[in-house]
Amino acid sequence: MKSTRKPFSKDILHIDNIEAVCNDIITKLRTDVSKKLQRRGAVIGISGGIDSSVCMALSALAFGPKKVTAIMLPEQDSSDDSKMLAKKLATKFGVTETLIEDITKALDGFGCYKRRDEAIARVITNFNPEVDKAKIEIKQDVASNLPPAFSITVIKPDGEVISKLLPVKEYLQIVASTNFKQRSRMSMLYYHAERLHYAVIGTPNKHEVEQGFFVKYGDGGADVMPIGHLYKTQVYQIAKYIGIPQEIIDRTPTTDTYTAEQTQEDFFYQMPFESMDLIWYGWENDYPADEVGKVMGRTTKDIENIYRNFERKRKTTAYLRMRPIF
Amino acid sequence: MNTVTEKKDIIRKYIIESTFDDVEKIKDDTLIFEEGILDSMGLLFLIEFLNEEFKINTSDEELVAENFQSINSILTFIESKM
Repeated sequence: MKSTRKPFSKDILHIDNIEAVCNDIITKLRTDVSKKLQRRGAVIGISGGIDSSVCMALSALAFGPKKVTAIMLPEQDSSDDSKMLAKKLATKFGVTETLIEDITKALDGFGCYKRRDEAIARVITNFNPEVDKAKIEIKQDVASNLPPAFSITVIKPDGEVISKLLPVKEYLQIVASTNFKQRSRMSMLYYHAERLHYAVIGTPNKHEVEQGFFVKYGDGGADVMPIGHLYKTQVYQIAKYIGIPQEIIDRTPTTDTYTAEQTQEDFFYQMPFESMDLIWYGWENDYPADEVGKVMGRTTKDIENIYRNFERKRKTTAYLRMRPIF
Repeated sequence: MNTVTEKKDIIRKYIIESTFDDVEKIKDDTLIFEEGILDSMGLLFLIEFLNEEFKINTSDEELVAENFQSINSILTFIESKM
């Protein structure tokens, strides 16, 4: 039988009827929150990033702005821009119930910063957390056929950059420490959700869910995830359609987790969103590597290695998506 | 000083003990990452093991398939560093 599948192209993920897709998400949000979860509104953490902005706007359109509580959850390492953009977004969509909950003291109580900095200092012995900036990143090419490993990069006040491959114990301690951030935010969101009898809206997109770029019981802890099925470029398409402020759309996606500036590409994805979306779609829908390679300007071998990288990420992070086993 | 065969056996024993895989499955030239025997965390723990067992430090630049893809590659890598 002749295949009716669309040939692979750079437009393959473009949403043709954007209005219908938005309406479907809005209708589903209403049904999920009011009928399935039996909650009367939505609590959402907003960071000034594209995903949380789109989720907040969709929630305001679904429930009405008065039934949405938007919460900024900064801590000492958060960028000041985040707060300003989050405020602008809430104003634009008429969400008046906006709160700022600074979680720095809670994180201090957990020893988040101390535990993280101790691990960094074991690898970079002259690390001074008072003045140096630090981040973790993957330096290998996404098309490498070895699994990725993280390096720690420290930036001194004079601009000197020191980078080392992270030994496993230090890598795990740094990640476990910084995960206090997402888990503390989740606790605060549920405090407000329970106080108001609202549901918590989760903001991960399809890549974050499927590649495991979220913290279990942290930003992965939510009642509904309205954009969990959407590719990042589709989230941008929706953002433009519903009128997310241009500064938010133009901003490079960051993790806002480490003291040094860090894009999500450096930290985890290893390639730009536009390419990742398309190659992921190709992999997920069994498009042959040579067909995808021709469109993306990459060799068949590169695409095969990237497919393997995706497969590895989904397999390695399956634990994050699992419910407790009993 | 361990012989080449002893070193290979030490590496194989480590992989088997950490993955519970069948001893028959892991030959000297088995592609341990491509075949999914070890994942990304497995690579990090392997680097730690090589450091503890053979006093081998691995840098960012050395993290390439040629040095880690099989027991043979790992052996060549550690021999070059000893």
